[in-house]
Amino acid sequence: MLVFTRKIDDAIIIGDGIEIKVLRVGRDSVRIGVTAPAHVSVHRREIYDQIRRANTSAVADSDALDDIVARLRRPMPVRT
Amino acid sequence: MTHAIAADEVVTFADGLPGFESYRRFVLVASPVLSPFTLVQGLDEGAPSFVAIDPQLVDRDYVTSLETADLARLQADAGRPLLWLALITPRGNGEATVNLRAPLVINPGTMRGIQFIPPDSPYRIDHPLATA
Repeated sequence: MLVFTRKIDDAIIIGDGIEIKVLRVGRDSVRIGVTAPAHVSVHRREIYDQIRRANTSAVADSDALDDIVARLRRPMPVRT
Repeated sequence: MTHAIAADEVVTFADGLPGFESYRRFVLVASPVLSPFTLVQGLDEGAPSFVAIDPQLVDRDYVTSLETADLARLQADAGRPLLWLALITPRGNGEATVNLRAPLVINPGTMRGIQFIPPDSPYRIDHPLATA
């Protein structure tokens, strides 16, 4: 891992067009600004991990699909 | 489920989905038998498949707005309709939850898809399906 010492308003450039800037430093948190091209998605690590776990648990193997659909079709979501 | 797949039926998720980043090509299977569910079926060897539903069928007031970067990734034109699908997780005993936090968004015009992960959201990743 590359490790840098940065001051407030200092930045790091990654590749072509990604900039990470230190905006504010608190006692136990740092506020960071990320500028990246539109095709680069930027997420908080814990959110991304949470979505990854949810996706993994949502996988329907082909044997289970018919069963899932059959069971799900009865209790319809709330609809007025 | 055998059915020849035409190239224009393939939705490309250029970044894959979190956890399945290397699988890019999916087809959406919707039929009266499946309704109101849509099967999101991975095409490549070992790719995952999912059962999904229009989030507005789960929460009538469901509203989430995409950010500019997401619209760019979908190559979306303002005003053209997008398809929203929330992934369902079976929880056993006939229970299931829906991921309203990070829905799939597909642009039928370009057949590009993303999993939209807003930085903050009022919606749950495990919204109960049957009891809403």
